[in-house]
Amino acid sequence: MKIKDQFRFVLQNIKKNKVRTGMTILATAMGCAFLIVLASVGYGLQESIVKDTLEQQIVTEIDIYGHIEEDDNYRSLTMEDIDYLESIDNVNAVTRRNQLRQFPTFSLDDYQSETTAVAAHFPSEVDAGLELDEGRLPEKPNEVVVGYHFLDYFVQDVEDEDIYDEASGEIKDEYLYQADLIGQTLNMTVKKDLDVDGEEQTTPLTVVGILKKPTKEWVQDQNVYISGEVFAGVEAYTGTPGGELGVDGDELDSATVNAFDEVKVYATNLEAVQTIVDELDDSNYASYSVVSEMKQINMLFTIMKAGLILVGTIAILIASIGIYNTMTMAVTERAPDIGIMKAIGANPKTIKQIFLLESSYIGIVGALIGTIVAYLVSFLVNLGLPLIIEFAFQEELPEQLQFSMIPVSLVLISVGICLLVTILSGLRPAKRATQIDVLKAMRREI
Amino acid sequence: MITVNQLSHHFILGKKKQETTLSVLQDISFQVNKGEIVTIVGKSGSGKSTLLNLISGFIRPTEGGIWINDQQVSDLTEAEFADFRLEHMGFIFQSFQLIPSMTAFQNIELPLILKGESESSRKKITLAILEKVGLTEFADHYPSELSGGQQQRVSIARALVLNPPLILADEPTGSLDSETETELLQFIKQLNQEMEITFLIITHDDEVAAIGDRTITISDGRIVEGARSQ
Ligand SMILES: Nc1ncnc2c1ncn2[C@@H]1O[C@H](COP(=O)(O)OP(=O)(O)O)[C@@H](O)[C@H]1O
Ligand SMILES: [Mg+2]
Repeated sequence: MKIKDQFRFVLQNIKKNKVRTGMTILATAMGCAFLIVLASVGYGLQESIVKDTLEQQIVTEIDIYGHIEEDDNYRSLTMEDIDYLESIDNVNAVTRRNQLRQFPTFSLDDYQSETTAVAAHFPSEVDAGLELDEGRLPEKPNEVVVGYHFLDYFVQDVEDEDIYDEASGEIKDEYLYQADLIGQTLNMTVKKDLDVDGEEQTTPLTVVGILKKPTKEWVQDQNVYISGEVFAGVEAYTGTPGGELGVDGDELDSATVNAFDEVKVYATNLEAVQTIVDELDDSNYASYSVVSEMKQINMLFTIMKAGLILVGTIAILIASIGIYNTMTMAVTERAPDIGIMKAIGANPKTIKQIFLLESSYIGIVGALIGTIVAYLVSFLVNLGLPLIIEFAFQEELPEQLQFSMIPVSLVLISVGICLLVTILSGLRPAKRATQIDVLKAMRREI
Repeated sequence: MITVNQLSHHFILGKKKQETTLSVLQDISFQVNKGEIVTIVGKSGSGKSTLLNLISGFIRPTEGGIWINDQQVSDLTEAEFADFRLEHMGFIFQSFQLIPSMTAFQNIELPLILKGESESSRKKITLAILEKVGLTEFADHYPSELSGGQQQRVSIARALVLNPPLILADEPTGSLDSETETELLQFIKQLNQEMEITFLIITHDDEVAAIGDRTITISDGRIVEGARSQ
């Protein structure tokens, strides 16, 4: 018997029992919709949280803390390590920075600021995405660029005057440097030792550029980016690593001098991050990346989603009782017809197929309606729940917070579970149909 | 066409542990040749229907073998027997056994659907058969809208639709008045002569028994007469 004809039989049978079949489809649809909506909360929250985390960080960035030695101590990274890191596949840039271990004073006329001086490798910084707000990058050893917020703290040196605005707590504009800084010469003053009135050295540096505002809202960049030469000059002057004050100069051995404070690896794309991290692990580098953290968050959510799907499946199992019942009744009702069909030569397999087709039809239509309803409910939840929560708790919710999300994979999983359960629950009634005794059925004894 | 060899059958009655057996057929052997009309007669309860049900494959014999068209059908599985029935046997029942929710046309078309015929060829064959049994204008009538004689003609049409070489009938005239009975018997004769269809007909009616080329008489589960053709 052709599938097309079997399907025609099924439709005719369903037509004869519209209400009963309709109710069973409704129950299945409700079970399926419940499953999808329930699990969609897991998907929605995961999406929101992951998106939020990713938006606040540079996802391709991998921090390298150091190299783990055999004695479990960390070793700072040197140029050799940088060369190795740059050789890894899909590494876009390896930035390395050294920070002066004292705060130099930068001054221009009667304006001054005490801030961090950082020696950076600009070619790699540019590859990693460093951009200028104004000016150009340094080309000569005595040229510097300053961070975007440097000017917010470059303040007039006045005594006994309240330079802070009482309301905002910020420095009043009138005391801040207002002219164009580019092209001006800053004098960098460093101390030789901890002595307050001790010896000082002043280096004139030309400002050639101002960096772009950092992408992270809360980060303030008021650094002055000096060249490696100037950095080395300070170290030579103090005779200590990083120009640190109050330590013994003998510590200035080659191992610390040539090491970097802060090394970051930038992957070419998000997908490459994990493989790079794995390689770093193998080579005993201690590293941190958002992707590794994401992995743990995702793991947690996977468990949560599995739990939600399991709970949702119970709803479908309940609906399956309805299908079992409906199919059993259908088989009983049609027993005389089945008997006649068997008598004239219908194969038991054909009869089984017809009933399986009918329960599958209920499952498919139920899952279809359930999916549509689930999308509708999900849409309404995302629209309405934030309003309700804001109204009830007077609290503003994060803008991109999404309670419920239904990816295609969830639909496939749910429809799959729904079909599996409906087919399984139709299996026994269908088998019963094949076992109907021809003679009893024809005598109307069933 | 049909060979029945040393067939015995008993039913098991009662619940488990206290079951009793009821022996219905003992040592039945006979043959039906191709193109023959064989009638089986006997008192009520003598085992006629049981014999036909065994040949039809609706129940399985306790002992002995049945061959149809050189195929040992008593060895077939249920599914194989179903296919064999569809292919080789037509059935006429006393109570017609039409599906009430299907029209005359749909009832006749059913074996063609089971066989997997295309819709167009189904329509052609069914209409031709409807004409042959003289029910063209009743094609869209449901069984409840037809007289007993008309219903029996629908069931004969259904039995004929796949051109089986053998038709089995259990009391085919049992529910008909004598006028339609005569009509039906004539039709059977005609089919037998025109299409060489073999008939095995159970009856307790002498008039029906008379159309047979041969009559087998059963009494208390044994053949007492007519096992061999003269
Ligand atoms: N399914 C059955 N279970 C038990 N006994 C049966 C069954 N079918 C028939 N019988 C018994 O077998 C005997 C023969 O029945 P049957 O073949 O119908 O006789 P007939 O058709 O000649 O009147 C009867 O005594 C009947 O009660
Ligand atoms: Mg009988």
